Amino acid sequence: MDRSSEDMSTNSIKLLAGNSHPELAEKISTRLGISLSKVGVYQYSNKETSVTIGESIRDEDVYIIQTGIGAQEINDFLMELLILIHACKTASARRITAVIPNFPYARQDKKDKSRAPITAKLIANLLQTAGCDHVITMDLHASQIQGFFHIPVDNLYAEPSVLNYIKTRTDLHNAILVSPDAGGAKRVASLADKLDLNFALIHKERQKANEVSRMLLVGDVTGKSCLLVDDMADTCGTLVKACDTLMSHGAKEVIAIVTHGIFSGDAREKLKNSRLSRIVCTNTVPVELDLAIVDQMDISPTLAEAIRRLHNGESVSYLFTHAPV
Amino acid sequence: MSFKVDLEYPFKRYHCKTQPTKSIVMSSIVIFGGESHPELVKKICENVNIHPSQVTLGKFSNGETSISVGDSVREKDVYVIQSGCGQVNDTFMQLLILISACKSASASRVTAVMPYFCYSRQPDTPYTVKGAPLISKPRETYTFESNPGTPINGGSSTKSNSSSSMTTQRPGADSSFKSLNTTIRNTIDLQQPQPSRVQPGVRPVLPTLNNTMSLSRIPIIPGGKVQTPRTSNADAGELFNSQNAGYKLWVVQAGTLIANLLTASGADHVITMDLHDPQFPGFFNIPVDNLYCQPIQMNYIQHHIPDYQDAVIISPDAGGAKRATAIADALELSFALIHKERRSQLLKGPPDATLTSGGALPVSPKPLVATLNFPRNINASSPPKPQISHRHGGDDVNQSKYIQTTMVVGDVRNKVCIIVDDLVDTSYTITRAAKLLKDQGATKVYALITHGIFSGDALNRINQSSIDKLIISNTIPQDKTVQFLGKDRVDVIDVSRVFGEAIRRIHNGESISMLFEHGW
Repeated sequence: MDRSSEDMSTNSIKLLAGNSHPELAEKISTRLGISLSKVGVYQYSNKETSVTIGESIRDEDVYIIQTGIGAQEINDFLMELLILIHACKTASARRITAVIPNFPYARQDKKDKSRAPITAKLIANLLQTAGCDHVITMDLHASQIQGFFHIPVDNLYAEPSVLNYIKTRTDLHNAILVSPDAGGAKRVASLADKLDLNFALIHKERQKANEVSRMLLVGDVTGKSCLLVDDMADTCGTLVKACDTLMSHGAKEVIAIVTHGIFSGDAREKLKNSRLSRIVCTNTVPVELDLAIVDQMDISPTLAEAIRRLHNGESVSYLFTHAPV
Repeated sequence: MSFKVDLEYPFKRYHCKTQPTKSIVMSSIVIFGGESHPELVKKICENVNIHPSQVTLGKFSNGETSISVGDSVREKDVYVIQSGCGQVNDTFMQLLILISACKSASASRVTAVMPYFCYSRQPDTPYTVKGAPLISKPRETYTFESNPGTPINGGSSTKSNSSSSMTTQRPGADSSFKSLNTTIRNTIDLQQPQPSRVQPGVRPVLPTLNNTMSLSRIPIIPGGKVQTPRTSNADAGELFNSQNAGYKLWVVQAGTLIANLLTASGADHVITMDLHDPQFPGFFNIPVDNLYCQPIQMNYIQHHIPDYQDAVIISPDAGGAKRATAIADALELSFALIHKERRSQLLKGPPDATLTSGGALPVSPKPLVATLNFPRNINASSPPKPQISHRHGGDDVNQSKYIQTTMVVGDVRNKVCIIVDDLVDTSYTITRAAKLLKDQGATKVYALITHGIFSGDALNRINQSSIDKLIISNTIPQDKTVQFLGKDRVDVIDVSRVFGEAIRRIHNGESISMLFEHGW
């Protein structure tokens, strides 16, 4: 026992951050009371990524914070992450954990047509090839993606934070939870159980990716304040159409609550012209929308606590049900 | 992008030349082209005599790369052609996804054809002038002086540079990085930098450094100093050096990683050309065929450079000497080397001690040293020497200083010079070399380059440099280069036949070693 505690004392947390989400990295760093390591990530003029390591990480417990975001830069950020992991590996880090709040390519997780790439699996392979020992992520689009890895994956949930938000910031008595698609029914049902609320479901008929043709509402939302819950808002086509469907069925107001607010393409315009009274997302990705209806939940305490627990070898399962304040 | 099937194409082909009839074996080749270089893909396919297969490449609105393979690849021999140019990380990810898509669609073998292999050369010093994360705005004029300057022929380099520009300190020495940064910033005289990628609604990057740093990527400032707005150049240096002066800053070399990523995505074989490091194939656990542009380049010299027998092959740096000597030996031409070195010992010892690096290489019969304007006294009647010029810029001799010297080892006076290099990125090296050669009396300067990346304002530099003709291969699209420099000044040599023949031979299980010698 003495030996292991001695080991622990020499082995400390090192926080590294790529360029995808500096604010989140800073928040986690502040929360843990550990400053970010001296690592520079640059892009050369020939568009290659270059990483400079400015301090020793030998035998340390390294956490690299990089999220998957950026219409132009998502692959750059991915390469940054891979090179950072590789750098730590070659610099003899004891353990390398990739903290990826929004897992990139998570939606390309199945061979839905002939010869379609399972890119999520590829990303999992790439992370492991680079030398990643552990992955912390949040609200994976499909939790089966964990099975793509041969290394431990901690899939954290934003649900406790969402519960807190709903309890404190919405009209709980007149609320109904709505899932915008059948895939999210489980997520919404779990929330509904915990809040003791009713839930409704919208069934959508998709003809092309990112395009929704027709929506059918299952359940009664008349006069209710609808809480539309989903794991991500990308082009917001689904959300806006679901909102319209709900309003046309007599809903009082519609509040969208999503984990990953990617808001790509013309999402801003769509939201601006929509009848959503609020759209709430977490800060797993940086949100740049300047719309008044956008509200944000901070999940950095959850990530920070997960890092702390992982480092100390404590159980992370507490975080599945509780949001650290 | 998708390629339309041109039905007439095979007939045209048969009309003009007798081609071997498509065997059954040939039909199991499938070639996919990435987005980076469609033109080369087309040419390679013409040489292999098949059509590129259908693949739709694009991006989802959230930026994720999307790929849809249109033709069956089951039990086929698949070749994926992607050059490491443009948005390197995007094209590289596209390649990886394409390979993995083919592999998971039961392709029997997937070969990555990377005419230019990205990340094969990365500078190992942080913040150097060359290839640094700093991108300067295209300027009107360039001096092409090496840094520090090379005062030759009556001090052609003005003494305008501040003394600090001549002295750099070793990164990693105590409190060095700050000054190194400052030095380099001052040296390269950056004006308003140009962000490498401007896009609307870009996230405000933390922290806001000064103008010089706000381009491309901003490092995450450690130590909770993010909130502090940075105002001066030196602060960026402090970033790395304020707390642990002892740690030697290092730049990650991504070569092994890239090799492993390719293997992990499912590539069984890699074909590339003129790798910067001959050791690079050793990073792979799969076969790598490194083709050479040299036979085609030699062919060009023999056919397009008048009186090439009297020309001199120049290597612009010591690293490329082997490549250049290979051409020089094969064509029986003389050879010269431009050598840039950093010495801390230059101030000590007799000045002659620094001038002895000529060795057995041919030196000028005429002592050109006499015409040089050395800051130190060098006996003009000293025996012939490699032409060397140096300048030291430190008034303060107490500090350990590095002094750079640039010299041409070999005789170039009244000669046609052919600079041979594998890669031109920022073009600092070859434009400086060209100037030095012209200053040494070269009549004409050709630059023979395999991979022309021309990032930042490289084309602008080359346009204003002393390079008379640029000969570049099409491993990377060169339309912009030709457009910018004009058709007279650029010749693009086609490497698609080498790649096509390599693909054909690899598919048929024939030896490709003859391609190394004869080209195609």
